[in-house]
Amino acid sequence: MRDIRGAVARWATQFWADLKSSTDAGFLSVLRFVGLLYGPIDARLPITEAFRKALGYRLAPHVSWRHALGGIAYLLFILLVITGVLLSIHYRPSVQEAYPSIQHIVSDVRLGWLMRDLHVWAANLVVLAVLAHMARVFFDAAYKPPRETSWLVGVVLLFLVLAFGATGTLLPWDQGAYWTVSEALSGIAGIPILGGLAAGLLRGDPIVSGATLSRFFAIHVIVLPWFAFALLVFHFTMVRRHGIAPPTHPPAQPAEASGRPFFPNHLLRSFSVAAVVCALMVTLAAFWPRPIGDPANPSVLPDSLIATWIVVDVSRALIHYLGAWGFVGFTLLGLSLALVPLFDRGPERDLRRRPAVATLGAVFFLAFFLLWIVGSRLRAP
Amino acid sequence: MRSRVLAVLALAATAAFLPLRAALAQQGQGGGPSVEGLADTTYGCVACHADKRTAFVLGVHSERGIKCHDCHGGDPSAFALPAAHRGGFIGAPSKVATVTLCGSCHSNPDRMRQFGLPTGQLAEFRTSRHGRLLLLNHDLNAPTCTDCHDAHTILRPDDARSTVYPTNIPHTCARCHEDKRLMAKYNLPTDQVERFRRSAHGVALFQEQNFAAPTCVGCHGSHSALPPTVTEIANVCERCHQLVGYAFNRGPHARAAQTGKLAGCLACHSNHDTERVPVDRITAACARCHAAGTRAMTLGAQIQQSALQATEDMRAADSAIQRLTRAGVQTGDARFRYQTALTAYLQIAQAQHSLNLESLEELTRRVRSISRDLRGSAEVAEERRWEHKLLLIPVWFLALASVVLAWLTLRRLERSSGGS
Repeated sequence: MRDIRGAVARWATQFWADLKSSTDAGFLSVLRFVGLLYGPIDARLPITEAFRKALGYRLAPHVSWRHALGGIAYLLFILLVITGVLLSIHYRPSVQEAYPSIQHIVSDVRLGWLMRDLHVWAANLVVLAVLAHMARVFFDAAYKPPRETSWLVGVVLLFLVLAFGATGTLLPWDQGAYWTVSEALSGIAGIPILGGLAAGLLRGDPIVSGATLSRFFAIHVIVLPWFAFALLVFHFTMVRRHGIAPPTHPPAQPAEASGRPFFPNHLLRSFSVAAVVCALMVTLAAFWPRPIGDPANPSVLPDSLIATWIVVDVSRALIHYLGAWGFVGFTLLGLSLALVPLFDRGPERDLRRRPAVATLGAVFFLAFFLLWIVGSRLRAP
Repeated sequence: MRSRVLAVLALAATAAFLPLRAALAQQGQGGGPSVEGLADTTYGCVACHADKRTAFVLGVHSERGIKCHDCHGGDPSAFALPAAHRGGFIGAPSKVATVTLCGSCHSNPDRMRQFGLPTGQLAEFRTSRHGRLLLLNHDLNAPTCTDCHDAHTILRPDDARSTVYPTNIPHTCARCHEDKRLMAKYNLPTDQVERFRRSAHGVALFQEQNFAAPTCVGCHGSHSALPPTVTEIANVCERCHQLVGYAFNRGPHARAAQTGKLAGCLACHSNHDTERVPVDRITAACARCHAAGTRAMTLGAQIQQSALQATEDMRAADSAIQRLTRAGVQTGDARFRYQTALTAYLQIAQAQHSLNLESLEELTRRVRSISRDLRGSAEVAEERRWEHKLLLIPVWFLALASVVLAWLTLRRLERSSGGS
């Protein structure tokens, strides 16, 4: 009897130890995944002490509020994932059901309106947050060696954000969604050589139809998230590996280890920012819900389109005032900024000593913001 | 070496010109009269009348194998005068003879049956104003068959180039009816086409390409063309506007129209203009015949009031649907109810022709009740939207509380680390 009890106790101890180490390993991998943990942890210490030691590193003293922009973009991304998963429970990607399912989400599902409007607002603000984060990196010359990989991965992440928004635009399947995507695909088809093929593959039909909706849904919820998660891990690992870029004007005497500890001080500050951003998002969602237009109708052109995504507003303003070539030019300007680190590799980091790059960046980021304001005014018929 | 280069160049030039030649040959075969048709050396008429042949081969008679001598007589195997104009040659038939000539085939059911064509044209033409002028009065200003259908290029009515294609009919009629000098002889106006173009029918025909809309022949008849008489007008309009006609025939105006005291539908809507009477102008239409203060005028004012009220209710229902849509509510049921209201609203437009106030008010009530329901639903949905904002109170409380807590903790941490 005692043997049996002893065997059960041994088994239970073993089971508990296995469970603990597996949980620790899982927890560690999550922490590594979001970039909180980097490098090996001290195996000689108890796990809690090891974490404290690993997370207690000190940040550079010049890290300030403007470094929060990347974190805000990440927070909005997480918000998009959570609301997106909740929406996908009720959303149905078919021509017959897409529009009624959105109405169902907004009017019948408990807090469904909040999920949807948070998703729409986060999809807009994530573009602004990513661009603001990029502008900070750009003007701080933080893209210079050895951090050019982080910059390039960041640029690909921006394109992923744009691809997320572009595919998500169609999903409400109302007139605004339908005709915005129709127009955009016609634009893509107008690109020489490969444009027609690309538009055809995306559309899957002579006109935007159920085939297009299925493609966009699959890309939006299955294809893009994998790329986004993989690249985010890469981006965070790079940031931890190379650290935050040094200040553009280094202080006369470097203060060793004078910065804030990451845990808990920096994390608490980040938490405050996150709380305020989340509350702001709920406020935006409650005050300015995304309207639902008429159901998509391929045979009726609407009098006016409800633009619900910032990039559509910017594109519309460009095409309205500068024509298609203005749009192409602005896109090329954006691309040239993305490739700046490949050419601008000198050690000079002072903004005043790199006037060409500074002007280019200022024009792009300011113009994007102004075009958004102007484009949203163009919404009225 | 040089000869080789020249040979290659010559080959390239030939290769470049071959498709061009093929294209030219194809053009000759495709559009217009075929080259072979014009070069027919066994048919004598073409020797002199090649232009007539060019026009003729475009038409449906040519497709059916009809030849020049089938209508004009003569000897097509001869290539010169006078031999060619022998053998029952009639030349260009007179206007009166043309009617008989066309009728010789087109009035014969045995010949027309195979093409599914009617054979009553000649009989109808004899009853028409055009036919009476031409055949009885020998008035050569009156049109004969070829004035509307062309003599040689006879196209099917569904061919857009045909003079009797729906959108071309008004212009075909206008060739004579817009001629002021000619029409003055018959005391007829010349502004019909201009007025028709602005009318509801003209807009439907020309701008919307809606061929259900009547052209001139829709009301006047084609071969039997005559203006409808006063007592006939309501019947002509009713052929399309059946529900309006049904209501009209049950009202007091129908009795007046039957006795010729009222020009039927024209009394309010005019003829070629087919004016709509706007809802707020109903009493103005009544006032054309009825004196102010009469019972009829009071009834007119009541009808106008009902129609105005229903129009306002429909507008409110439409905006309620939009408000519901904006609030994100499922609008399937609401849209179905709106359609029910719209049906009743359209019935009001028909029912007012009976001048029966009771049936009109029943319809108005139906519109009003649906409109009120929809507005109520919109208000409920908007109110719920407002309630969403209440969520901000706990959200901001939690957010601010956590910020305050975080800052307090940070201050404690920094103080302790500073102290240590």
